[in-house]
Amino acid sequence: MIEQICFNDVFTDSAKEIFETMIFMDLMQADDPNQQIEGDAVLGSITFKGDLEGCLAFCCGKDCAQTITMNMLGIDSVDEISDEDTCDAIGEVCNMIMGCVKRRLHDTYSNIELSIPLVVNGRQLKNTLGEGAQEVMEKVIIEDEYPTELSLLYREKSN
Amino acid sequence: MAKTLMIVDDSATMRKIIMRTVRMSGLEFDTIEEAGNGVEALEKLNASPVDIVLCDINMPEMTGPEMVKKAREMSSCDNTKIVMVSTESAQETIDGVMADGANGFITKPFTPENFQEKLMPFMN
Repeated sequence: MIEQICFNDVFTDSAKEIFETMIFMDLMQADDPNQQIEGDAVLGSITFKGDLEGCLAFCCGKDCAQTITMNMLGIDSVDEISDEDTCDAIGEVCNMIMGCVKRRLHDTYSNIELSIPLVVNGRQLKNTLGEGAQEVMEKVIIEDEYPTELSLLYREKSN
Repeated sequence: MAKTLMIVDDSATMRKIIMRTVRMSGLEFDTIEEAGNGVEALEKLNASPVDIVLCDINMPEMTGPEMVKKAREMSSCDNTKIVMVSTESAQETIDGVMADGANGFITKPFTPENFQEKLMPFMN
């Protein structure tokens, strides 16, 4: 059984590392655990299998996703990016965070294979993984402005 | 003499980030090609080989390691250096793709200095 507190740290530290080094934005744990994403949202997810199976998801408002995309591409105007650019960027955010999580868990779970990320747009989006899954949910805030949810649903491989 | 580069990644965003980071590293390339997966990369390499390929690992159609194996069977890629750029960081993954014919490995997140360090030996 994985210690929840340990997994939370791995998850949050991985997201912070990616936002600091590749996206150049500040990601902090939210002061308000009840914060909600209002309006149109973007949810990126990436599944994994092996010693640990599950799904990592990153969900934020559309305005936040567009800002992340502009930062990643080095673009100043939202008019210069398309919805396709935004989906691609959020998928890559999931891929990089999960890569970091995988690296940090390698000593305990050496065999984890990642899928290609999937991104959807909508409202009140939620990540699920059926029965028996453990969930780590982190409410974070990006640049002190954008409420964002990180979730990791997982099951240990049954022997 | 200026070198030629190809960036292979299924994410257009990541290709742009890599391109920008390579430029920030101070390394100069005559041309920079892009490909969205291994199949497209091999077609382009067959038609017009480049000096250095920066290649992702997890891609649809054909993965990076599969592309490396096939590129090493192509005489047009005899002098092409292939450096993997990936979130994958397990030593067994790195050892495996290096044994298949890759010449280097850069782990995401990366910095311009990472590209400078890994690509500079192939620039002369």
